[in-house]
Amino acid sequence: MERPLKILILDDEPIVCKRLQPALEKLGYEVESFTDSVEATRRIQETSYDIVITDLKMKEIDGMRFLEEVKSRYPKTEVIVITGFATMETAKQSFRKGVFDFIAKPFKLGELQEVVNRAAAKIRGES
Amino acid sequence: MVFRVVQNFLNRFKKPKIVSIDIAQIFEHFQKLLQNNQRVMELIADLGEKSGGEYVFDRKYLVDMVEELHSLLLHMVQELNFISSNKYLALYTSLDRIITQLETELRGRLSFGQETPIAVALDKAPLDRPELIGGKANTLAIIYCNLKLPIPPNGLVITTRAYQLFLEANALEDRIYALLESWVNGERDEHSTSRQIRYHILAGIIPKEISKEIEQWVDKRDLPKRWAVRSSAYGENGELSFAGIHETMLNVPPKEIPYAYKRVLASLYSPEALVYRRKMNMLSEEAAMAVIIQEMVHSKVSGVIHTVDVSGENPDSLVIYASWGLGRTVVEGRDVVDRFIVEKVAPYNILKKEIATKTISIKPAGISGEKEEMLTEENRELPTLSEKDIVQLVKWALTLERYFKYPQEIEWAIDQNGEYVILQSRRLVIPREKEFSQQNITTLCDQYPILFKDVGMVVHSGVGSGVVAKISSDSDMENFPEGGVLVTKFTAPWLARIVPKASAIIAERGSAAGHLATIAREFRVPTLVGVEGATERLQNGQVITVDAKSRIIYSGRVKELLSYELVAEPFPFEDTPEFRLLRRLYRRIAPLHLIDPSSPDFTPEGCRSVHDMVRFIHEKAVEELINLPKLLQKSSGVHVYTLESEIPLGLKILDLGGGIDPRVIETGRLRPQDIRSVPLKALWSGLSAPGVWSTEPVSVDFTGMMSSLTKTPSEASAITSPTQFNLAVISQTYMNLHLHLGYHFNMIDTRVEPDSYHNYIYFRFVGGVTDNARRSRRAKLISTILSRYHFKVDLKEDLVVARVLHLGEEDMIRRLQMLGRLIGFTRQLDIQLQSDEDITNFIKAFYEFEYCH
Repeated sequence: MERPLKILILDDEPIVCKRLQPALEKLGYEVESFTDSVEATRRIQETSYDIVITDLKMKEIDGMRFLEEVKSRYPKTEVIVITGFATMETAKQSFRKGVFDFIAKPFKLGELQEVVNRAAAKIRGES
Repeated sequence: MVFRVVQNFLNRFKKPKIVSIDIAQIFEHFQKLLQNNQRVMELIADLGEKSGGEYVFDRKYLVDMVEELHSLLLHMVQELNFISSNKYLALYTSLDRIITQLETELRGRLSFGQETPIAVALDKAPLDRPELIGGKANTLAIIYCNLKLPIPPNGLVITTRAYQLFLEANALEDRIYALLESWVNGERDEHSTSRQIRYHILAGIIPKEISKEIEQWVDKRDLPKRWAVRSSAYGENGELSFAGIHETMLNVPPKEIPYAYKRVLASLYSPEALVYRRKMNMLSEEAAMAVIIQEMVHSKVSGVIHTVDVSGENPDSLVIYASWGLGRTVVEGRDVVDRFIVEKVAPYNILKKEIATKTISIKPAGISGEKEEMLTEENRELPTLSEKDIVQLVKWALTLERYFKYPQEIEWAIDQNGEYVILQSRRLVIPREKEFSQQNITTLCDQYPILFKDVGMVVHSGVGSGVVAKISSDSDMENFPEGGVLVTKFTAPWLARIVPKASAIIAERGSAAGHLATIAREFRVPTLVGVEGATERLQNGQVITVDAKSRIIYSGRVKELLSYELVAEPFPFEDTPEFRLLRRLYRRIAPLHLIDPSSPDFTPEGCRSVHDMVRFIHEKAVEELINLPKLLQKSSGVHVYTLESEIPLGLKILDLGGGIDPRVIETGRLRPQDIRSVPLKALWSGLSAPGVWSTEPVSVDFTGMMSSLTKTPSEASAITSPTQFNLAVISQTYMNLHLHLGYHFNMIDTRVEPDSYHNYIYFRFVGGVTDNARRSRRAKLISTILSRYHFKVDLKEDLVVARVLHLGEEDMIRRLQMLGRLIGFTRQLDIQLQSDEDITNFIKAFYEFEYCH
């Protein structure tokens, strides 16, 4: 059997992590979630992830910097951005390169699961 | 925004100037008002949809939502005041009041205000404020009020606000804090910390306002001489299990209740509770204790149910432990007890029956407290429960597990008269890894045949399993099996009463915002709508599993998925603070209280929710418009047509755009075939159908019956009085119709678009010339017919208000045609409805007539 893909979730609203983690675990992924971007940044220095799901607007570090950090360390990691509806356009403009997909909050769990599965298929196809 | 506020302020001092009103501008404002009205209704529907668990949202979403509602309502208030020349300035105050309430909810309510009660009756306790009444009381209130299961009688909750008062009155807060700090710093151990704090609490004086509440409660109920005093800490029974950590005092005489109250408060600081809270990282948070006082149940038998076998030996079964007398035998493990293992699916086979050789029974002691008593020889070997008892307990246990979505640990009792009662229910903690060791749940589910996949809309997320029960009539409802899957064509509101019994709901039509959706969420029943073909493809009695999370319906009972959801999912989404906040907001936004425009509450002051406000504004805006045609005759630019037809209604038509054939402007004549407005066209086709209004012969008995009923010779005299206009304000997809027929009055407000999301019909019927009884008969008749067409109907004497939401275009059109016929037929019926039997006959005949159309 293939090894389960590793996912990191970063969103400073605990509810988002709390709901995404079990929903993705149910699909067979190995998931870690963070509400604190400093902690998440520390974590990606220790270990790599196949998929990173991050919010854009957060208190400490903004999602943009976190994303750059991930991409520069692990160019193969697929990043999915989840962001408030209002910031969706800015998100699209500033991340033309490198981001796998964007999802506007609020979103359906099924939508996110679908995007993650697509990213996973891409990774599996490449490896 | 600031500019608007200033403008409003200035507007308040302007005098109404009716003459100089620009008619074109009025219509512009009216249209904007309609658009804003529509947007508010969409937001309400959206909020409803978000509460079903399918979406991930955060606080920000809720904050933005309230902000947008605020701005839309403000515009609507301005628009109405423009149209009405500032008749409704009081609405600004109502708006402030309602928005302030929403903002208070958003800020959170853990800090109690002066108005927060010190004590509440358990059967009237608010179900969404566990921080006030504590976890155990919250659970009991849900069990009793929502799930309708019996709990001990005469329960009173002394709230956490009382606990705060107690601390304040005895200046304990700082002292407790200092003691806890020295424990955390390692200066003293938990035993001495606990002893000190409890000593202070027990030595404290109960403030008068608290003791008065207790005295009054107990004095009023002089019958029970003994009481149970139980802990209900904030957080207890919630996400964390405080099983057995806090104190319960049984058989307490009234005089000793105050002391028992303090004992229970003090147990918040027992060494076990302190260690537990520290381990759970909760020490820094504010602990608070509510206390339940309820009548003592003198149980003959009592025990505990685990809805999952913790040992893992018996999957899909539950375990009942039982002993003679009061519950401590089982809970505290004072003696061996009987153990029954029962299957979780009907007919609830008993897999194992282990009857222990019991030695003791715990009984209430004479004056107060409890005592152990040796059992008689005969009772030692006797089973404590009969099969009938077991089935009853199992059914309740499954209801509780279905609702709370965790494995439950339920304390129950059977009293001396053989009555069952639930003492409490809390989360049963099961080691997660025991059940699921890296198994892939998706692979496990794949073994089951899939009946439906990726169909329908999620109304309430979750997984449920049971036998299919298709419902299309009242008699089906009577036979609905406990834990069955409700399968239906429409989500009609009259289905509401079986929702609590259902393990899942599947409907072919309906929406996430309808009335049934609200009820399904109230009872946390997994629900899918829009599952086309469900009533045909699913058979009564067939066992299925509905996964409303992944929108899959399996054949059979997918045990693995059910137990995964129960055990491996860390929390039910309904219990998160965000969802609770959403629901609290929803309750101040969505309910409609202003149903009857003639009621004295139909005022700006009477608006209690956002929905009330838009309803009021819309109603009044239309009212203003009705008085306009007279003014309009004189103005240019806007034309009001009179519909030329054989039906003598004198219907005036005002087109907001796209409602009539553009060529009408040239000819100046409007005939039925020129109508382009979808709703008006539908209604008119019903109203003008053969046999409805005209006297031409048709081949159905119905018109025969009608003519025998309506014997009045001259119809024309009762049609329209010249002072009242029959007016339809229309656009291509919208219609607002006011019809005065004789002495009664019909109003229809509706929108019919290809996308069902925006569609609704609001119908109102009132009045009549005859006595109250006959008028009420007609109203009853109309409401019976409408509810059969899946309207949600409110009936008050001779007022009928009916609503239907979010059906597809075709379904809406059919209903409008039906309304047309119904209006035609019922226009004079009240004179003739002499007995209740006439109602039944009429309804029967109407259905037969409808069947032909």
